[in-house]
Amino acid sequence: MRFLTTIRKRGLSQSQLAALLMLPALIVIFLITFYPLAQTFLFSLEDYNVKFAAARKFVGPGNYIKLFFDPDFRAALRQTIFFTVVSVSAEFVLGLLVALVIHRTFPGRGLVRAAVLVPWAIPTVISARMWEWMYNDQFGVINDILVKLHLIPAPVPWLGQPATAMWAIIVTDVWKTTPFMALLLLAGLQIIPEELYEAAKIDGAGTWQRFWRVTLPLLRPAILVALIFRTLDAFRVFDVVFVLTRGASGTRTLVVMNQEVFFSFLEFGYGSAISVLVFVFVALFSFLYMRGLGLRLEAA
Amino acid sequence: MSKHKTFTFLAGLVMLALLASACAPAATPTLAPKKVTLIITGPSSGETGYAVLQKQLERFMKENPNIEVKIQEMPWSSTLQHDMFVTWAAGQLPTPDILRLDIIWPAEFAAAGWVVPLNDYIKKAGLDMADFLEGPLSGCTYQGQVVCLPYFTDAGLLYYRKDLLEKYGFKPPETFADLKEQALAIMKKEGIKNGFVWQGDAYEGGTCNLLEYVWGNGADVLDGKGNVVIDDPKAVEALSVMVDYIKSGVSPAGVTTYKEEDARNVFQRGDAVFMRNWPYAWAAMNAPDSPVKGKVGAKPMVHGPGQKSAATLGGWNLAINKFSQNPDEAFKLIAFLTSAEIQKDTALGAGLSPTRKSLYEDADVLAANPFWKDFFDIMVGAKPRPVHPRYPEISSVLFTEAHKALTGEQDAATAIKNMAKKITDIVKK
Repeated sequence: MRFLTTIRKRGLSQSQLAALLMLPALIVIFLITFYPLAQTFLFSLEDYNVKFAAARKFVGPGNYIKLFFDPDFRAALRQTIFFTVVSVSAEFVLGLLVALVIHRTFPGRGLVRAAVLVPWAIPTVISARMWEWMYNDQFGVINDILVKLHLIPAPVPWLGQPATAMWAIIVTDVWKTTPFMALLLLAGLQIIPEELYEAAKIDGAGTWQRFWRVTLPLLRPAILVALIFRTLDAFRVFDVVFVLTRGASGTRTLVVMNQEVFFSFLEFGYGSAISVLVFVFVALFSFLYMRGLGLRLEAA
Repeated sequence: MSKHKTFTFLAGLVMLALLASACAPAATPTLAPKKVTLIITGPSSGETGYAVLQKQLERFMKENPNIEVKIQEMPWSSTLQHDMFVTWAAGQLPTPDILRLDIIWPAEFAAAGWVVPLNDYIKKAGLDMADFLEGPLSGCTYQGQVVCLPYFTDAGLLYYRKDLLEKYGFKPPETFADLKEQALAIMKKEGIKNGFVWQGDAYEGGTCNLLEYVWGNGADVLDGKGNVVIDDPKAVEALSVMVDYIKSGVSPAGVTTYKEEDARNVFQRGDAVFMRNWPYAWAAMNAPDSPVKGKVGAKPMVHGPGQKSAATLGGWNLAINKFSQNPDEAFKLIAFLTSAEIQKDTALGAGLSPTRKSLYEDADVLAANPFWKDFFDIMVGAKPRPVHPRYPEISSVLFTEAHKALTGEQDAATAIKNMAKKITDIVKK
């Protein structure tokens, strides 16, 4: 503290001092966030393959034009959007149900709340490996149960055919992230004052009406935060796909494609262009959510 | 820190520096060779090869007292190793001095200028290159320059259930059609779940499998001059055979998710008649607790009518990092590790297949692993995957398009057309 008083004595104003104190944090943020972002953007304007570093050259928007005509990129974009829309919707609905259930008081609630969180606590790579075994055509427990119940005539290679692979990945993702959604929504539920429900009850509102008129509107900020978080994550999905299919059978999402372009093909220019587009899409999504839900982030 | 303290601190530093220089020995006698430290990438200490390599290096250090060698442990996955090598090379790191390269990387690393060309070294040292198997050596050669020395090798094999084939009076299959016929017959009579398991997932192993059908049917991906020649009815036929194995039930539909271990798990439980895999599977299948112990035979892969069998070449090779400070000592070490004597030790100690022809006639090697005698023809005939600096992209096209045919998203003819078009674009880049 003596250090601070000394500085103030030397004639620094409050705001100057504040700026000074923020400086280290700003420098760190600049180094770890803005610098790599800018670097990625600059790379995206180059034809740059690490193994042919001598042939590196500036191509302006060349990579973006190439991406526009790249059928692989368009397929990856479609698959990513499909994954995002389906998995986030499912997680939201299930997460809300779970949150409403564990918000009520009942014996053993603490235990149930802890149990619900287990899938979220397991690292994705590990849970994905677990699901990979459950989906296995010869030893998998899912096939075993379904065949024994006579729901399917023969084992199905869930991850090995385009008709089911993406759905299998979505189920795995929903299993893992529903608890996260539930947790965020539960936090939102807990700040809704009990008096509002009592007042609504006195005014004669039924359960359904109380849900639509009280719970949902007041839950909006929490919903917004949860949806933004999950959409951004889902759009950049990598680990669960990489473990389960590595992008085969129509599951090649943008980031899975990008990983191959970067680290297998070593096309840093083209890969950076994909990264920049993923960033733009994600920013766009956040913007649309905030507009669509009629909320500003500060209100949340 | 006050001014006074700063001064004391700096003064202290200067004193220390002076002391250090005063203590440094006067110029050393020039006769003794300079002491150097080499770092070589190797298996992780959990793998059997590690202890064997460590022993060999100790011997090397005893024979070359001026050289110290350390092993840099690497992850098991070849893809992860590739990422690490590339990161180091892009940063021009002088270590590790010696890189253990997968057989599909030399062209890429040579084109990028990340490894030392070895022709002059080989000539000076008078190495007998004729003793190396042709396949691994050609995989190590880029534009006339040898860029690495073959360390150990691998090749695709067809494993079969000796007991079942004998029981139903079949001779081991030669052609694609033989295999289908035998598999279907034995599945039906024996009630066995799968006829033939292999690696049909979309990854490097998928490319290895595909190539064995393409080559085994007389087609190829690139010709000797680097032209794309895969757009060939014989290649379509080859891929159709793979598709037909799945459609006819010879192979399970799930084979489109199988890698090496998935196939081995099924075969080793006794749930399949045939399996395509690498030599490593032999030891596991004949382990004391294996249900198929002693019931398994291995032979070259099946092929098209009137064609010759083909095996995809695998294996690892030793190259010298272009940015290494000690390339001469590094060459000494890789020549030592790939010599017949040390390879024999590696074969006996770690079970890795030698790259020198003479060892396949060596009595000790054959006594330890009798199957190497049978593997020799396969190893000799094994073909390297397309040698090209953009191989990873070519391979990705091959396994992606083939996988789409295997899962029924497109027919074999379309898949081959797409391969030809996309690989032509890659080669033109």
